[in-house]
Amino acid sequence: MTALTMNRSSLWSIDSRVIVYSAIGAALYGILVSAQLPVPGTTAVSIRPAFALVPFFGYAFGPIVGFFTGLVGNMIGDQISGWGALTSYNWSLANGVVGLLAGLGPLYIGRWVAGSSFANRATAAAVAGAIAVVIGFLLAFYDMIKDQLDFNAVLTTEYLPVVIVDVITTAVLVPALLYVWLPTAERTGR
Amino acid sequence: MNFVPRYLGRGSWLARRDPRLLVVGLVCFVFAAIQVWDIRLMLVLVAIAFAWYRSARIPFGEVRRLWVFAIAFVSLLVVMNGVIASGRVQQVPGDLVHLYGYLPVVGTPVSAESIVFAATQFLRFIAMIAMGFPLAFAIDPGAFGVTFARLGVPYRFAFAVDLTWRFIPSFAADFRTTIDAQRVRGLDLSPTGRNPIANLARQVPVVVPTVVNAITGAEDTIDAMDLRAFGTGKRTWLHELRFDRTDRIVLVAFAALLIGATIAAWTTSSALLWVPPFMIPG
Repeated sequence: MTALTMNRSSLWSIDSRVIVYSAIGAALYGILVSAQLPVPGTTAVSIRPAFALVPFFGYAFGPIVGFFTGLVGNMIGDQISGWGALTSYNWSLANGVVGLLAGLGPLYIGRWVAGSSFANRATAAAVAGAIAVVIGFLLAFYDMIKDQLDFNAVLTTEYLPVVIVDVITTAVLVPALLYVWLPTAERTGR
Repeated sequence: MNFVPRYLGRGSWLARRDPRLLVVGLVCFVFAAIQVWDIRLMLVLVAIAFAWYRSARIPFGEVRRLWVFAIAFVSLLVVMNGVIASGRVQQVPGDLVHLYGYLPVVGTPVSAESIVFAATQFLRFIAMIAMGFPLAFAIDPGAFGVTFARLGVPYRFAFAVDLTWRFIPSFAADFRTTIDAQRVRGLDLSPTGRNPIANLARQVPVVVPTVVNAITGAEDTIDAMDLRAFGTGKRTWLHELRFDRTDRIVLVAFAALLIGATIAAWTTSSALLWVPPFMIPG
């Protein structure tokens, strides 16, 4: 059973299903995050299609799965790329918070998604994911303390570019993933 | 890029240590380093980091691309911050900086303080990256779960970390198979136009099947865990971890580093920028 139909208490239960989906999400995110599409006209900004996995796993399987996918997946991706798992630990935490908040999406937009079409539920997931991105990546401003970066530098080179491209990624890929996954989940009784 | 966790440091001095030491050492080092802004002390931390890195005996040829990426990214971050911050150095009031001149076109002031600030930032990132490498390459991939479990992480999460490392090779293979299958069908995955949304949408035929296949295949693992009554009682691990005398000494040294850096940040000028006298004009 996915988080889309869970009640409040079952959102926080940790069973074998939550553990396995968490591990799958983190492994996939860690592998796919290295595939990046550069945005023309910018220097350091690129679209990471894999980022969509964070809100998707959160929304589809619950906040714990989303948090683990974002936190551990980003650490693994950073480690594989050579950046180091803890060099930007606040960014990994930010990814985790995005997954966590997206996982709470079915609670705060529950009435919209309950019993509606696959398309509406997929759209709701994109909205929840976008909200989670805007809030979660506020942790990027911790770089002002950790690395003594300037506020404008964090805002213009880190927060805004990341939020913009990740909202776009979420809006494009999360509905696509859910549109395929929801019928499969219902057909197989998950 | 090779996604499979590689045990490149196998047999090295660091690989023979208790893996918990590598995790705790890195945490202590990172939190010590972020409190230091005196470049002389930062150079000491860089020396410690590279001594640690060297003790893992990771073949440079295997990680050259990772180092190139890391240095390029750190350089970009430091330069962009220097340019966008317009020469402001947070710890030094604007009227106390020793100005050299202005960057052409953007007009950013360049001072002795802003150069030392950028150099310290660069060294700090490089030190943290050098300390982080052994975590990926000098720990037996099969020991990640027990490492985190013995560090006090709840065993369910420790098991999830273990499972994550074990999934990576098979998912990486599935990902490559999916790409090959779609290319055989004529799909061109390379970004073509300037529209990022269109380029992103082109990734759907690769990302969606890889993810959905991974999820649908999860039931086998879930069933296997349920059939073994996972989660019903205290779990034991195949690997036994034990700190030896050397591990304890190194652990105490890292703890002392963190405590020392914290005390020094409050009581000395270690958390303040230090500009070499030769950089101060006239």
